[in-house]
Amino acid sequence: MVISRRALLGTGAATVAVAAGLGGAALGHRLDDLARSVGIEPHQEPDPADDRLIARVATDQNTLLAQVEAAAVKHPKLGLGPFVAISTAHAKAVGVSAVVPDIAPPPANRAKAVDELVAAYAAASKQRAADSVRAASPALVRVLASMSAGLAQCAHEIGGLR
Amino acid sequence: MTSTETLQDWLALEHEAVWLYPVIGARYGALAERARRSYDDHGTVRDGLLTRLHQLKVEPVPPALSYDVGRVRTKGRAVAAARQLERDIAAVCLTLVGDSTDELRTYATRGLRRAALAELAWDGRPDAFPGLP
Repeated sequence: MVISRRALLGTGAATVAVAAGLGGAALGHRLDDLARSVGIEPHQEPDPADDRLIARVATDQNTLLAQVEAAAVKHPKLGLGPFVAISTAHAKAVGVSAVVPDIAPPPANRAKAVDELVAAYAAASKQRAADSVRAASPALVRVLASMSAGLAQCAHEIGGLR
Repeated sequence: MTSTETLQDWLALEHEAVWLYPVIGARYGALAERARRSYDDHGTVRDGLLTRLHQLKVEPVPPALSYDVGRVRTKGRAVAAARQLERDIAAVCLTLVGDSTDELRTYATRGLRRAALAELAWDGRPDAFPGLP
């Protein structure tokens, strides 16, 4: 089974309940949409644990997106545009938050801002890898593992901006 | 495809890497150090896969009799070939991630991460979803 990124990024509706800020009960069956969009026939009964996992991942990834966007505005010379684009793609895959997450402003010091971002991307990479081991749906497993690898790449490259 | 078949596909790519990097290092002095590090890394992964397949009582796929040398005819093409090989490894690891559970899934996830970072070492750019086509 090959998952295409085109299919993946076309799954904005997969977690529309998250995007709309609805409760956990509204997340039911969203994983099925995700699975179908990448060509996998879902289980008849969606796994509620996977639904909860997607909701948590969406919160995490939208927070990370807000962090990198804020840093990009505060430190335009860092050239964080590619990382904003990657985090936007991640957020789209799991559900873009309708509400901008509440985050601390980035440090004024450039090196500290870079350090914070590296730590945030590295932590997110580690968490998505752990999430991928716990997930039930093969589609979700692959999305989370791939996301984890992309986040690791970001942490590495942002570290080079010091 | 079973997880064992995917492990064999991964091993075939690691055999290729163990062939490719010494050729690159020998031809282009400026790439020699990078190639040596990559060779060491892939040798370790190949050995791990061989052990894993033997433990499964499966005969591991052997290296190919020959590989395409044309890919390394210029320095630029050599870097591109290395980058593509790391991408191919990331893709096969991602397949294995979805076809496995528990320890094997963790192993494949680590392989995917390693390949994604190795791609950067060969002038790759960060990607939202390494391993996806």
